Amino acid sequence: MSLSSAFNIISSSFVANAAQTAVISANIANANTPGYSAKTANVATTSYGGVEVASISRAADSALLDQVLTSTSQAASQKALSNGLTTLAQTVSDSSSASSTSGSTQNGQSPSAMLSNLQNALETYQTSPNSQSAGDAVVSAADNLAASLNSASATVQQVRSQADSGMASAVSTINSLLNQFTQVNNTIVGGLQAGADVTNAEDSRDTILTQLSQQLGISTVTSSNGSMSIYTDSGVTLFQGTPRDVSFQPTATLAAGTSGAPVMVDGVPITGPNSPMAIQSGALAGLAALRDTVAPEYQAQLDQIANGVINAFAESPQSSAAAASPTPPSSLPGLFTYAGATGMPSSATGLATLIKVNPSVDPSQGGNVDLLRDGAIADPTDIYVSTTGDSVYTYNSTGAASYTGRIAQLVSDINATQSFDPAAGLVASDSLSDYANASVSWLQGQNQQASDQAAYQSSLVTQATGALSNATGVNLDTEMTNMLNLENTYTTSAKLLSTVTTMFNDLIAAIPA
Amino acid sequence: MTVSNISTQYLTSALNLAVTQSQSQLAIADTEASTGQYADLGLQLGDQSGYELSLKNQNGLLQTLSNSNNIISTNLSTTQTALDSLRSDAQNALQSLIEWSPASGSTATLQTLGANALQSFIASTNTASNGQYVFGGINSSVPPIADYFSSTPSAAKTAIDQAFMTAFGVSPTDPAAASISAGSLQTFLNSTFSNLFQGTSWTSAWSSASSVNTTADIAPGQTIATSANANQPGFQQLAEAYAMLSEFGGSQLSQSAQQAVATTASSLVSNALTSLTQTEAVIGTAQSQITDANKSMSSQMTILQTQIGNLDNVDQYQVATQVNALTTQIQTAYQLTAQLQQLSLAKYLPA
Repeated sequence: MSLSSAFNIISSSFVANAAQTAVISANIANANTPGYSAKTANVATTSYGGVEVASISRAADSALLDQVLTSTSQAASQKALSNGLTTLAQTVSDSSSASSTSGSTQNGQSPSAMLSNLQNALETYQTSPNSQSAGDAVVSAADNLAASLNSASATVQQVRSQADSGMASAVSTINSLLNQFTQVNNTIVGGLQAGADVTNAEDSRDTILTQLSQQLGISTVTSSNGSMSIYTDSGVTLFQGTPRDVSFQPTATLAAGTSGAPVMVDGVPITGPNSPMAIQSGALAGLAALRDTVAPEYQAQLDQIANGVINAFAESPQSSAAAASPTPPSSLPGLFTYAGATGMPSSATGLATLIKVNPSVDPSQGGNVDLLRDGAIADPTDIYVSTTGDSVYTYNSTGAASYTGRIAQLVSDINATQSFDPAAGLVASDSLSDYANASVSWLQGQNQQASDQAAYQSSLVTQATGALSNATGVNLDTEMTNMLNLENTYTTSAKLLSTVTTMFNDLIAAIPA
Repeated sequence: MTVSNISTQYLTSALNLAVTQSQSQLAIADTEASTGQYADLGLQLGDQSGYELSLKNQNGLLQTLSNSNNIISTNLSTTQTALDSLRSDAQNALQSLIEWSPASGSTATLQTLGANALQSFIASTNTASNGQYVFGGINSSVPPIADYFSSTPSAAKTAIDQAFMTAFGVSPTDPAAASISAGSLQTFLNSTFSNLFQGTSWTSAWSSASSVNTTADIAPGQTIATSANANQPGFQQLAEAYAMLSEFGGSQLSQSAQQAVATTASSLVSNALTSLTQTEAVIGTAQSQITDANKSMSSQMTILQTQIGNLDNVDQYQVATQVNALTTQIQTAYQLTAQLQQLSLAKYLPA
């Protein structure tokens, strides 16, 4: 050992010190950067007794990261579903806002409340069948019911369209993230082979994964060369060396009965009922469930209500037709009809959008309110003439001003048990008003469940993110302490250097000239 | 000893999250405290929403029926008043007929009695309430009895004149009518004349009323008849008696024939009184049914509103406590944030 080797050791200390200071500076600078993990300079002794920074390692916890990825996906899917359901629940806002219970008229705008208002208007009309204003009230209540069904149906379509475009933007985000991932992954694989510091690239790779997990549920596998493969939570490969093509064809209008296109990865559908490997979580899964399952089911319920309303108010022939008359159908739409009607609706699909009040009874469209009491709303121009010269659909054959037979029949028809399509997710047989209430229950139940789940999952994300941040994040005080250490090392090394220099000088001075 | 690391980022953001959460909860609690109801009822009730809505709808229906029962009650009271006046008129007429004898009164007395009674009979029968003729049955837009004394002779009067002419060949005002015997007049009154007030003769010449009474729901599932109609025997008998007196009372008929008219009329009026009393009883029953229905619906509504309240309303005490707790929590978080700011090693290092 010699004094010159002491010089070398001191100089290596300065180099290592500078490298460690650089790492601490980076840590302090990125203390508040989300996704940044604390770096540690690994110091090792060199063969001649000096010191060197052998490598830089990052604080990582793959188990916690997985938890963050999973909970982020779950939260994103529940949030997408919950947002959609909140919008849908606005169609039954009377059950979500404070409404007065004392009045006979409901403040809400749900089909159920509108149906109840119509029933009340009919009861009042039954008491004063000769009153034009009571008849007008029935027609306006009917108009409100039709409008409520129309607007609820429009909301469903809007929610589905928004989900569809949300899926399109999720797919484009996924594709762009996968491209970024390719670059970062290549940097890591190349860097590891060359022995370079890849910790920052690994940070960005984790960040990309977190962003990706917002869009769809993923799982990852890291191979021996440091390359990472990504699979969807259903097992479809998204990235393995190269990104897979994720494609989606948005649908312009999603009317009742129209289904949207699935999201495809390498030609395999990963959403929708026909997918063999449907994804379970992520915004994409939530939006697909909203577009393909929840919203269409609610649409079907609205359609069933519309169909039930048209049926309850349908008119049937009351007398035999004259010889000259065409054969009258056994029933025709009465107070409620639908756009383009030529008879009773053949299928319920889309009726909630099409339902309207028959113009022949609506005074604002030149109709006659008295037809409500007398019948023949379906046949105001007497196409199907009876032997007495009236329309065969006339119930009030004497034209009496206080005839209540038809009104009483309508009141009981609203309360009568009807059959509904069980495919809409509710009971197959119920009264119209109970069915409408059941639909509100169904919607609010789904809404409550999704909202609870979203809140629960989002608190899980907060916890998992906090845990990950604690495990891998920067603590300023720790860094500060390390910095003080380094400062001391630096001071001591400098002192050592000056001592060795003095020793050299003394030695040289001791040698006579 | 567990030494756990905490990241500075988490240390600062944790309080932030707590404050945000507490603030949004506070907003909800504030709304609930001020309205007394859940801030988002649908979210709170979930699949009970439909049940709550059905309670509200039921309550609304009962309210509507209570309101419309008021209209029915008004109509029924009007009907009852009209029946009362018909009955008292009939009783007065009967009294006068009993007191009358061919010797005591002039012939004009009977005629005046009949004409006046017939006029007030028509007026009472044509009573209207809320634009509805109460004795019209379902045909409530037309006065049930047309004006008998109109300047163009009414169908009813024409029919009576023709029948008399056919039977006796003279008009009642013709002096030759004096030769009609009491017996043959009695036969005429009991058969031809009486038939004019029955069946299709009555409905074509006298009454425009429908024999079908109006009906209405007074409570869920309870439908009652809410009117009487002028086609009941009481009305026919009164019309027959009054028309008889008005047409034949002041005529040239012999005293014995007039006595026959008076006797027949008084028996008709007393039969009619029995019939009117029955009608009054029916209307009275309807009125008491409505009172009962209203009472029962009112107590049902109280129950329904209590149930709705149970679902909709928050526990005010609990919400008030929650608001206090949240306020305290947020204040604590603020203080901690300020104190955490002081906690930095850099502050304690020499410059």
